[in-house]
Amino acid sequence: MRGKSRAAAFLLASPFLLFLSILVIWPTYLGLKTALSRDLLSEFEITPAGLDNFRMVLEQPQFWEALRFTIIFALSVTVLECLLGFALALVFDRKFPGKTFLFSVTLVPIMIAPSLMAVMYRLILNQNIGVVPGFLQKFGIEISIFDERYIFWTLVTLDALQYTSFTFLLIYAALQNMPSEVYESAAIDGASPRQIIARITIPILKPAIAIIAMLRLIDSFRTFDTIYIMTGGGPGTTTQTIGIHIYKTAFITGDFGMASAMSILLVMLLTPFMPFIIRQFRLDVK
Amino acid sequence: MNRIERGKMRLRKILTVAVATGALFTALTVAPAQAATEVKMILWPGPEGEAMQKVVDAYNAGQGKKDGVVVKQVLLSRDNTFAKEAALMKAKSSEYDIYFTASYLVGQHAPYLSEIKGVNDKLYLKASIDGLKVNKKQMALPLDTSLHFMYYRTDLVSSLSSAANIAKYKQISKTVLGKELSPNLDAETWNWDDALATAAFFTQKYNPESPTKYGYALPAKNLLYNTMIWNDVLWGLGGNWFTKGKPSINTPAGKAAIDVYRTIYTKELTSPDASQWEYAETNAALTSGNAMMALQWNAAYSELSSTGATSGKVGIAVPPGKGQRTHVHALAVGLNKYSKNQAAAAKWMKHLATVKAMKNYATAGGVPSMPTILNTMVSSNASFANIITYAGKYGYAEAGGPREFDIYAKLAEVLSPAWVGQKTAEEVAGAADAALKSLQK
Repeated sequence: MRGKSRAAAFLLASPFLLFLSILVIWPTYLGLKTALSRDLLSEFEITPAGLDNFRMVLEQPQFWEALRFTIIFALSVTVLECLLGFALALVFDRKFPGKTFLFSVTLVPIMIAPSLMAVMYRLILNQNIGVVPGFLQKFGIEISIFDERYIFWTLVTLDALQYTSFTFLLIYAALQNMPSEVYESAAIDGASPRQIIARITIPILKPAIAIIAMLRLIDSFRTFDTIYIMTGGGPGTTTQTIGIHIYKTAFITGDFGMASAMSILLVMLLTPFMPFIIRQFRLDVK
Repeated sequence: MNRIERGKMRLRKILTVAVATGALFTALTVAPAQAATEVKMILWPGPEGEAMQKVVDAYNAGQGKKDGVVVKQVLLSRDNTFAKEAALMKAKSSEYDIYFTASYLVGQHAPYLSEIKGVNDKLYLKASIDGLKVNKKQMALPLDTSLHFMYYRTDLVSSLSSAANIAKYKQISKTVLGKELSPNLDAETWNWDDALATAAFFTQKYNPESPTKYGYALPAKNLLYNTMIWNDVLWGLGGNWFTKGKPSINTPAGKAAIDVYRTIYTKELTSPDASQWEYAETNAALTSGNAMMALQWNAAYSELSSTGATSGKVGIAVPPGKGQRTHVHALAVGLNKYSKNQAAAAKWMKHLATVKAMKNYATAGGVPSMPTILNTMVSSNASFANIITYAGKYGYAEAGGPREFDIYAKLAEVLSPAWVGQKTAEEVAGAADAALKSLQK
């Protein structure tokens, strides 16, 4: 009986396992194989390289600079987007005129491809022909959004403009599951709105916010298109994410071995977050 | 026969006629295509892709029928064409028969391309055809030639001749450059002191009466194509990537070239936003009337000569320098070594190498590397005359070998912090040489 149920489970899972093999396991194997090879676009032959690529990556200052920037960027946008998303969710948790329309508008940025957003930003914020600088100039305000001194915060702000809608949506959904009795009791006990948020809403939403923050952290760790289109990782490597560094290594330097080694190291760096997420989901993984 | 049956019969007739027509149409259209060999060619979207489509259409409708070849052009994204090709090449793919390449990439692509034989070198600009040879073998066929011009506002430069402006020019050049200079009204003979002093004169920070806010539009983004423009400064000041086989950015000429860009940015002769500028932003700065001059690609001429503040007022000069130089490269197409349609692809390439095909290309908006064609089209685009003269007289192509593309990118990465004043020339020049050395291996 038990054997039959195992066979049925395997049979039912087999389509998924097949896709997993084709889309994850096989490419991962190829990636690992490439990482262990000297595989340059300018050289026809591919030769075994052992762990040389991993050693070279770990000795490369640009890799660590890109990693450092990526961590700082990912933490900054995650904190900012969670705070803004939480604030927006609180605003939308009450009734006001035009709520449905504004709700839809708030979700628009997340539906736009990041690369398209980046191209739009470049046009809208262009100092010479952009709508935003043009509008501000009418009031005598001169801004240089892409000034090298402010570029980091420009990128953080633009990322927040796109992804706050993501954190907002998930926090808002979590907020809708809060039992109204809790709020009613707090109101009867004379709690102020600030106390309700600090002592009731946040503690109850904490697991949801933690997982949303983790999802954003992992996603922003992989940021590529927006920054690549806006700054190309520069000036120098000051805004170079690890994703941009891997891309340039593979497709400009043409060193697929090194790029694969970096990708594998990146996976190894992100993997420790997985148990945390699984725990938050309270999945029974045995 | 009732109404419903009559309706059914009518429907049956309509369906029968539709099926028969469809079958006839399919037979007429598909049959010839099956007889011809399809050649798939990659290009990128934009003026080159649009112009090439006209050549492809004309070939498919004419010579292609005689050759038994149908060409299908596939346009990948402009930003990532070469990245996608790199993946295809490394996989030894036969999906596309003809790859898009360029003189700065052909060294990297050469292992995956077949040699092209029977090309008449004399039809092409020397710098363009030679730049596509690897170990003396012609690995790709030139399409567009690209080089740089110093674009400037003719109305503003001519205004420098008044006595009041001469005096002001001397005073501003002393303040900004530490040298008292007189205006040079002939941009064709500018050195970098002339260019910087003129840029300072037309910067409102130093001259509140300047009609332009900034004197210069500097493409200083960390982008390999911006290194190609900076190379004009390097070469113009007597520098080079390598001297006698050794990296030579860390030399007086190399550091002076870095300092030209650094001066433009730190003295605020360009917008602070220029740290993220490339081709489009540079054009926008000029056409909006915010900037007065820029080193920019020849392709910008059509837009600059007909748009906004530069319309009818844009002058062209060779990039400044003691020994003036302009980078030249050719966009090109090469034959995939792994193509299963080598013979058919070669027929199409043979057609592309004809004056007739390139004339079509030029008429449709391309800038072919054939001087005879460019000469006949000067009336429609005045910059064509400059392309021929500058490519021959001042043109150079860097000898970067298989890692040339990589060198451009690496130099942009290492030098761009100094271009925008984050680091000094002294700090980055050594790092640039170290990067070049590592890429020589």
